[in-house]
Amino acid sequence: MAAIEFSSVSYRMPNGVLALDNIDMTIKEGELVAIVGGNGAGKTTLLKHLNGLLKPSRGEVRIFGKSTKDSSVAQLSREVGLVFQNSDHQLFSESVKAEIAFGLRNFGFSESEIESRIEEVVNYYGLAEMLDRAPMTLSGGEKKRLCIATVMAWEPKILALDEPTVGQDYLNKLRLRDVVKSLLRKGRTVLIVSHDLEFLWPFKPRTIVMGMGKILADAPADQIYLDSELLEKSGLRQPQLAMLANALGRDRPFSDADEAANWVKGLFVRRYDE
Amino acid sequence: MAQVLLEGLKFRYQRSVIHNLDPRVKLLLTAMLFAFSLIGSNFYQEAITFCLIAIPAVLARVLRRLMKLMVFAIPFSLFIILLNIWGGGTILHSFVIAIRFIEIVSSTSLFFVTTSPDELEYVLRWFRFPRDFVFAFATSIRFVPVMMIDLNQIIDAQKSRGLEIEKGGPIKRIRNLVPVLVPLIVTALVRSGELAEAMEARGYGAVKKPTSLFNLKLQSNDLMALSIIIPGFIALILLYLVMI
Repeated sequence: MAAIEFSSVSYRMPNGVLALDNIDMTIKEGELVAIVGGNGAGKTTLLKHLNGLLKPSRGEVRIFGKSTKDSSVAQLSREVGLVFQNSDHQLFSESVKAEIAFGLRNFGFSESEIESRIEEVVNYYGLAEMLDRAPMTLSGGEKKRLCIATVMAWEPKILALDEPTVGQDYLNKLRLRDVVKSLLRKGRTVLIVSHDLEFLWPFKPRTIVMGMGKILADAPADQIYLDSELLEKSGLRQPQLAMLANALGRDRPFSDADEAANWVKGLFVRRYDE
Repeated sequence: MAQVLLEGLKFRYQRSVIHNLDPRVKLLLTAMLFAFSLIGSNFYQEAITFCLIAIPAVLARVLRRLMKLMVFAIPFSLFIILLNIWGGGTILHSFVIAIRFIEIVSSTSLFFVTTSPDELEYVLRWFRFPRDFVFAFATSIRFVPVMMIDLNQIIDAQKSRGLEIEKGGPIKRIRNLVPVLVPLIVTALVRSGELAEAMEARGYGAVKKPTSLFNLKLQSNDLMALSIIIPGFIALILLYLVMI
């Protein structure tokens, strides 16, 4: 069964702007999908349709076959965990422990289960040492991990991350990558909305490019990242390894720097042999 | 609810006869409409004031927004009617007071929806209010839409964590606001701190009397508006006196 289905979904904002224009897409269970595009492309609006924060003006969104029109935000959030861009908009409790417990209590978990789930996620997301600290006092990276932990505590089948790398340093980005990898290993469906193609590149995800509320392209990352024209049109910059592949006339981007170095070395060796 | 109220007070850039007026003229117009709302003591006078508010609203193309605000004010007006009847007032008199309340809200809104925060700042400065006060006041008005965006994003974030704000009894509903209000206040405080630092870095307070790039000056359209507004209102006051 498809985890997420958008059938001819359009959404007009209260001010009359058409934020989503006839979106059709299907995302399978366990799939990683990157949604990329410039500012105002409609990425976050699309994300908000997943847990019913926004309902389509036209068309239908189905989560595991069930229309979002028939469910409340709370019901849908049990299946779809949404982590927003600004961590400060989410955190309010007096401690990390209370912050994680908040969502679990809302979903009616028993106190014993809340305790065990808190223990599990704080260990998993490297927050065990700061259990009693006020979330507001955490660093940007820690806040982001806490936001993901608060959502993952109730184990939604789908996790949608809105611009997870904004304001994160390189080490935190690496940690975030590990988190995404582990979620995929667990069979979760993950959607990442981001401008940061360098961050997404190692996953080589199915990539949906959005612009003016429409899907401009939906293809494997290899294909999308080599299309410099499309990316430029969408206000995005090619990842450096894709840019290098383009410059060298290669038909697919390099996976990492080592592959690029070996390929260039190979060229020299061939020249030398000739 | 708060969204309707703020939408009814939010300035949007657009061109109209009213928007283009000097902010002091708009303030005078609003003050006169406000005064007429208070002076009116019977149904007919309040009806005239209502029309007087509608004319600039139509010219400014903001009537629909004001109507929304009026609808928002109706429950409060009903409360005023009930309170007044309970206090021994007649139904007609209570009704007049309720209309007066709607008119006060609308006339105030008319000024805010047609006057930009910058213009507001110029007017306050023209009245020689202290500079820090003017800056703080104008900035707080300017940040209302930003806080509104924050509020919506916070509500979305907490709803996504299973919070059902409208669920439960009155006490539960008030308690449900904690996860929304705490991040909102924290974000506002952080932003005000950042703004203060940015302003200081840009030389705010370096001199006691800074020069101004823009000074208010009445144009021909303002003089024309004043030549209609002032005699018109004097005539109406005389009419009201005759009606008494």
